[in-house]
This record gives sequence, C-alpha cells and structure tokens, in this order.
Amino acid sequence: MDYARPIMWNVPHWAEIALYAMIPLVLIAFFAGVVWRVRKWSIGQAEPGTLAPGGQLLRALAPLRLAELVKTILFQSRLAGDGFSIVMHQAIFWGMVVLFLGTALATIDQDVAHLVFDAQVLRGGFYRFFELALDVFGIALIVGVGMAAYRRYVVRPKRLEATRAGISLWDGFPFLAVLFLIAVTGFVAEGLRLAEGFHIESQAAVAATRGPEARRASLERMGLRERLRMGAERQEAELDRIARGEPVFPAAAWAPVGFALAKVFHPLSVGSIRALHQVTWWLHALLAFGLIVAVPLTKAFHLISSPANMLLRNPAPAGRLPVVAESGVDTVRDLAWRQLVQLDACTWCGKCQEACPGHNIGFPLSPRDLVQAIGAELLRTPVRANGQTRSLHGEVVRPEQLWACCTCRACEEVCPVQIQHPRLVVDLRRRLVDQGQVDEGLQEALMNLQRYGNSFGQSPRKRADWTKPLDFKLKDARKEEVEYLWFVGDYASYDQRAQEVTRALAKVLHAAGVDVGVLFEKEQNAGNDVRRTGEEGLFSMLREKNLKELANARFRKLLTSDPHTYNTLKNEYPSVGDPPNGDDPLAGKPVLHYAELLDELLRQGKLPLARPVDRTITYHDPCYLGRFNGVYEAPRRVLRALGVELVEMPRHGPDSFCCGAGGGRIWMKDTPGIDERPAENRVREALRLPGVECLVVACPKDLVMFQDAVKTVGAEARLRVADLAELVNEAIATSSEPSTLVETSHDRTG
Amino acid sequence: MNLVVVVRQVPDLIEPLEVSASGTALDYETASFVVNETDDHALEQALLLKESGGGTVTVVALDYGEVDNTLYTAAAKGADRIVKIARADDTPPSPAASAAAYAQAIQPLGPELVLVGIQAHDELDGVVPPLLAARLGMPYVGVIRGVKRGPEPGAVSVCKEFPGAVMARLSVRLPAVLGILGAEQPPRYVPVSRIRAAMKTAKFDEVAGAAPPPASRVEVCRLYPPPSGARAEMLSGTESELAARIAEILAEKGLLK
Repeated sequence: MDYARPIMWNVPHWAEIALYAMIPLVLIAFFAGVVWRVRKWSIGQAEPGTLAPGGQLLRALAPLRLAELVKTILFQSRLAGDGFSIVMHQAIFWGMVVLFLGTALATIDQDVAHLVFDAQVLRGGFYRFFELALDVFGIALIVGVGMAAYRRYVVRPKRLEATRAGISLWDGFPFLAVLFLIAVTGFVAEGLRLAEGFHIESQAAVAATRGPEARRASLERMGLRERLRMGAERQEAELDRIARGEPVFPAAAWAPVGFALAKVFHPLSVGSIRALHQVTWWLHALLAFGLIVAVPLTKAFHLISSPANMLLRNPAPAGRLPVVAESGVDTVRDLAWRQLVQLDACTWCGKCQEACPGHNIGFPLSPRDLVQAIGAELLRTPVRANGQTRSLHGEVVRPEQLWACCTCRACEEVCPVQIQHPRLVVDLRRRLVDQGQVDEGLQEALMNLQRYGNSFGQSPRKRADWTKPLDFKLKDARKEEVEYLWFVGDYASYDQRAQEVTRALAKVLHAAGVDVGVLFEKEQNAGNDVRRTGEEGLFSMLREKNLKELANARFRKLLTSDPHTYNTLKNEYPSVGDPPNGDDPLAGKPVLHYAELLDELLRQGKLPLARPVDRTITYHDPCYLGRFNGVYEAPRRVLRALGVELVEMPRHGPDSFCCGAGGGRIWMKDTPGIDERPAENRVREALRLPGVECLVVACPKDLVMFQDAVKTVGAEARLRVADLAELVNEAIATSSEPSTLVETSHDRTG
Repeated sequence: MNLVVVVRQVPDLIEPLEVSASGTALDYETASFVVNETDDHALEQALLLKESGGGTVTVVALDYGEVDNTLYTAAAKGADRIVKIARADDTPPSPAASAAAYAQAIQPLGPELVLVGIQAHDELDGVVPPLLAARLGMPYVGVIRGVKRGPEPGAVSVCKEFPGAVMARLSVRLPAVLGILGAEQPPRYVPVSRIRAAMKTAKFDEVAGAAPPPASRVEVCRLYPPPSGARAEMLSGTESELAARIAEILAEKGLLK
C-alpha cells in the first residue's frame, strides 16, 4: 500500500512563507560570517617556496589528498587513541549530518517533488526508513551531546578547562545546549504531530461505528482533506487510505521516539496539541537557523576551518622549519596565512597541552593557550591595517612561555586538526632573538656557536679529540673518499660521557668494516637547535660553513650520531626549491642516523655479533628521530637482534616524552619553581617498569639529560643509561676487550 | 651625550698561548683574537647611556687581530660611528703606544665621556685607561660598575668598586675617562643576521696611527708559562680511607681541630 509523508502538517501558510523567507537571510548571515573569518586569513604573509593559496587549494583537491581528508572527517581518525572522543564526535557529527540531510530531503520533497511534480520521494518503505533513521540519529546526537557535557562538566579534564583568552562567549555550554535543544524540539514536534494523528484516528473510529461512510464523513468534517497538502487525486487516495482505518501518519511506529512521546502527549486536548506543535516547530526551526548563523562566529567554525587547514597544510617534512621572516613575528600580520588558518582550526581540545612536556612539569606553557591567545588576537585585528597592530609580545604571549618549549613536536603529533605549534613558537622566538632578548645560558651558547662553531665554548681544534684513544685511525673525509661521512655533532664530540658512546660506535663501524670518515675540526654544529631557538641568522651561517666543507669532501652517504643533527642535515640542508640547486653537495646523498645504519648492517649480516646481551631494557625514542622523522623500528630491530628483553614505556613511539633538551633548552637555565625536570619525569617512567635495569637511548643529548636525571632522582644504582651503540659494541666486543658498559660515572661537562 | 668607547682585541684563551721566539712576547701568529671582555662591557654601558637619554656612540679601535668582526658587531649593537686606527703590523702595540694612538684618534671627536675596559688581559698593569686620560687631559676614574646620567647636567653618576666589595657612588664632572669593570647589565646578544646586515652597511672611518711614543721605561725581560708544580698528592684507596686521609690533611693544615 502506498502512502507518503504529510507535508508541513499543522503549519499555517503564513508560517511556511515566513520560514522560507528566513532561509536566504540565514544563508547570507552564515556566508557573511564565513567571509569575515576567511578574510582574516588574507592578512597573513605569503610563504616563500610554497604555492599561493589558490594553487594550494588546487593541489589539495587532488584525489589522494581529498580522499585522506574525507577519511579523516568520516572516521574522525585523527582522534585515534581516545575512544570516548571518537564516539562523542561521531555521534554529534553523524547525528547532525543525518538530521540536516533529512531536513533537506523533506524540504526537497516539499518544494521540488511536491510543488513541481505533485509527487513525493518520502513514501512507502523509504518513508519508513527515513523516519527510523532520523529518530536513531536524533538519539545519537543527544547521546553525543550528553557525552560531551559529561566530559566537560563531570569529568572536567584539565585540558578542557576554560582558556585564558577565549575567542567567543558563545561556546561550550550554550553550543551543546543548542544542539541538545534542536534534537529535543525535533522529537517533541514529531511526538505532538503523531499525537494529533491519534486523536483524528480515534474520532474517526468513533464515527466508524456508524458505518464506513460515517468514518469518511468524519474525516472530511475534521478538515483532513485541506490539511493534506497534495494534489486532489493524491488527497483522495490518502483520505481513502485513512478511511480504511489506517493511521494518519502511517510510518508513526517507525519513529520510535516520536511514537513514545505521542503516547505521552495523547491525553492533551487537540487544541493544546496543535498549539504546542506550532510553538515547538518554530522553536526547532529558529534554533537550527541560529546554529547555522552561529557557526562562523563560534567554535563550530572548526567544521569549516579544520578541514580547510588539513587540505591546505604544507606537505613539506615535519623536520623542515619554514621561514617567512628571519627577524621573526611581532604581530599577527607577520604570520604566514597558513598559520592563521591553523589558529582558526583550533578546537580547544587541549590534547597538545596534555602531551606537552613543558606543561606537564609546570613550565608556564600550554600550546593550546598559546594558539588560543594568538587566535583571539587575529579576530581582534582588522583586515585593513588602520593604525598600529598590537605586538603579540607582552600581553598576548610572554617570553617565558616561548622559552619553555622543547620543540619536541608532541603537541603537533596529537593535534587532531594538524596545527604546527612549534613553528609558531620558533617564529615568535625569532623576534625575541632579533631584539637581543635571550636567556643568559642561551646567550652564552649562541656566542660560543658564533665564534667556535660549538656550544661548549671549546676550541674547534679539539673537536676530534674523542678519536685519540681509539686504536685505529678514522679516515679524514676532507682528504680521501669515503662511503659514509660521519657528521658527529657537538655533544657526541665534546661531552665526556657522550664521547664514550661515539668511540663505541666507531669501534662497531670499524669491526663491521664500514668505510667511514669525519671532517675533524672543520665540522661545526649543524644548527638544528640553533634554528629552533630562533637564531635563524646563526643557523644560516653554520649551514653555509658546513655545506662548504661537505662540498669539498667526497662521500656517498651522510651518517649522524645526533638525531638533531640528523634532522637538519636530512630536511634543512638540501637546497629547497624547484628545481633543486644543481651544485647542492647533498643532492642524491642519503642521510642516516646510526640506528638506521646498524639496522642495515644487521640485515646485510655485517654486524659480527658475538654474544647476546642479557639485559632487560627499555628504549627512549628521541623526538628528532621518531616524531620528526618516523624512525621507530630500526633501533628496536637492532635491540632485538642483540637478544635483550625490550620492555616498552607507556609513552613510546610517537607518544615518546621529550627529555627536555630540545629546541635549545639544553643550553638554557633551569626554570625555578618547576615540579620536576622532563628528564626526571621520563626516568621515573622507566623506573616504574618491572625488571628494567637499563634505559637505552640513541641520542647524545638524551644520554646527558638522563644521566643527570638518574642521579638527581637517586636511582643510579637501579637504572643505567646506555646508548644503543654501546650495547652493540658490547655484543661484538672480543673477550679481550673490556665491555664499554663497565661502571661509568663521569659527570657531565660543559 | 657624545660617548666614545675604546675596544681592544686580546688573544682568545680557549687556545693555548705560545711564547714567541724572542721569549719576551706572545706568539701572536698562533693566537686568535677576541674582543676584550671589559671593553665589551664599556660598549654596553655606552649603549645603555645613549638609550637612556640620547647621544652618539663612537667606537675606536686599533686595526689588528679580528677587529673588523668586533666592529661590525658593535655597529649591529647600535654604535653610530666607528673609527679604525691603521696599524703597520698585526699585533697589539705596547700600552703607551696604544694610549697615544687612541688619544690622537679621540681628541678630534670632542668626547664628553670616554669609556674603556679597565684592563686587557694581555696588558701590563692596566695602564692604558689612565695613560689615555692623561693624554686627553681629562680626569680618570677606574673600576667602575655602572654609569648613570646626572645628578646634574654635565656630570655622570658612577658606581666605583673598592677592595672588599665596598661600593661608592661618585659624581664625575665631564669630560672624563672611565675605566669600566662591568656595565649595569651584561653585554647584549646581537643576532648574526644583524651582524651580517652591518657588514653590508657599516662604514669605518680609517685614521692614521700616531707617531710612536718615547720608549717605555718598563721592559719585558722574559715571558714564560707558569712552571707546573709537582706537589700535588694523588689520593687513592677506599672511600673511608680517602675520607680519613682528607680529614688528616685538613687537620695538618689547621683547618680541623
């Protein structure tokens, strides 16, 4: 039996016209809001070496990237790891999507199918399915909103606490309340509509006791014909159907929530039901319109800005820091347009803050608050520069926030909408450096780097002194051709404890017959951390000097000890541009961290492992090896091959917790008043693992930081800090040679 | 205020210093040069004075060592004018010759205040600042930690350090020469990009060196590294043995009763 959804039931004609008249106004307000937000992005700077926004958009629409975005949105996949959050977002997102599409479909049914063709899509089985779907997703929306409210107002995780600088008053509770009320008014209107149907049916049923004709007459008397807004032929058919005793709303039972509510409302009089229905219907419509208008003005804008940000994100490697202005960022106008999109994309979810080592140990830094404060400043800044734009330094962002960042990228890694917080920090730091405002310890390191090419303030001639105790000679890559040019790095060259590791690696490479050489005193600090302190000029100088030496050397591959060095050599030393510079000394030359080389040697069977290393260990992923460059498995494969028992810390792989050395923090003074140092936090995490006797690192800075932290937490006897290279050397060392892991208790120098 | 700062180059102590073949001077061939630390403070103090109430800062230096780097850095920090005094060879002259050369270059500048580091570590007795003051015919106050404007026009208020950490605040009528031990705040950091910009834009006024002054009455007879003593006693043994031995030594020296 065919039947269709009654259209605009109980809605007076004037109300229908008013509703439709409002739609263009709502759309105008919505698009005006969107344009207002998007125009703010235009005050940002172009990024040298990248496409203009238009070109970015075209490239972003390439099928692969679009598919990735669609996947991210449909499955909210960037929230992976937080089940509650995924369910909540999916419920609200899909609830709203289906309800919106349902409403749109009903509108099309009315305005196109019905008015133009006198036919309806919402009929029969599809109509039933439609009713069921809308009820189910309406419930989903309420559940999602309930979950969000539960998390915000009952669980109250720190990361969701109110920000210091909110971008709008119309957020949080009002937003959730509106979503909730839209769902509730929708259900109530449905319930009231169905309840009136019950009344009509029971009146008709009373009349029907006097015969089928009386039932039909009673329906006519109730004005049902006029209330069924459809062509005369279809009206007739519908009346016939209802006169046969079928329900007025034949899919009523397929809308379980509305049906249940109808039972509740049934005792009310028909007049009350009809009046209440009209009020609720209006409420529902106005709330929905209000929501649409509010989208660009509130947190809901992330429906637009977050996907826009993901589409327009820079596809360059995470380890390549973009530079728009060497002298850094003073006002929001100095930021790149892409960064402005990122500010708008933030949803205040606070996951960055939860992951931030600085925030975790009591530094005055929250990546979320930083983004929020600058985002709020963006909204306050007029598109046209009339007069002075306020400096971000001072009231908006304080220097101590900026210096607290380890540039470990944990925030960026967890950000569901791919905001690059460390880039923002470095841009702002550049300004401080330009103005000469640097921490005392940092100033000393930077002056040493300017003058001597190392942060230790040691003579450049002593850079290769670590090689002296070796009983073989390392090749001089300046004089003879080598397969691997080993760029050792500052800490691995000058720090007394790290030197032991550097020598252990040299022995391993020697034993494996690797053709390797170094630049001796011609090597200078590669500048990875210099760049991240904001001293861009010094980074450029160091890069030029090193590239000049590298251009004079003959080698096929670059090998590094320090993941920081690795990152910048791999991502920031090769000339960027299209086409790449022909005389780039690094063109076509792979850069390897020694963990990768050891892994390769292992695979080729070139590591003469003589005895298994019988230890229970845990491994710390260095930020610049793991999160920045995705090298997680190579060191683990080497460790497993050694025969150690590897126990993972809760925070490992991409969730690794920074030792606190990155971004130049290793040179800065300790911040007074902190709860604990990041390295101490990390050492305590390792100490909580049962049976673990050794914390294995693959970064000289980690070695230095954790060696200190093991002492300051008083765990020297329980936990040894050792480098991957030392374990390998132990496994290949001939019995005559003492293990490099005999008690080592040198203090950190420099 | 018309401020003049004298900036000297000294051998960098991160490299081991060698005595020249003559046995009476350093081997400057093997040394690398760096700005004299107290002169860096003098420059910082001059810049602070300029920033607190206007004026010009002129930096005066003798041309040897890596003076250009130092001067570009000074320009990047905010020095308005740079005077470089030509020099026949690439070594620091004697204190008397230095003072004569600085005085000849500074006199025409008509300075109100000359700031110079209290001592350069390759210099005898820290005599350059007072010699310079004498040649300029200006009063000299040394061992200064911090200079402020005032209290009255034509004077500055200086903080002078005396032995035993006694500090005095003096009012010095201008013009004067001040021997600076430390500026009010540590020398500022100047980023490499600004130094590089200064290399492109900064101009040096090059002036001729002074006629050599009469020979100094002080002569260096021999320069030699301090002989290493052989009196260190290396302790060995268990922790408790070591502790006992240390206590014994302290008691021997009368530090423990």
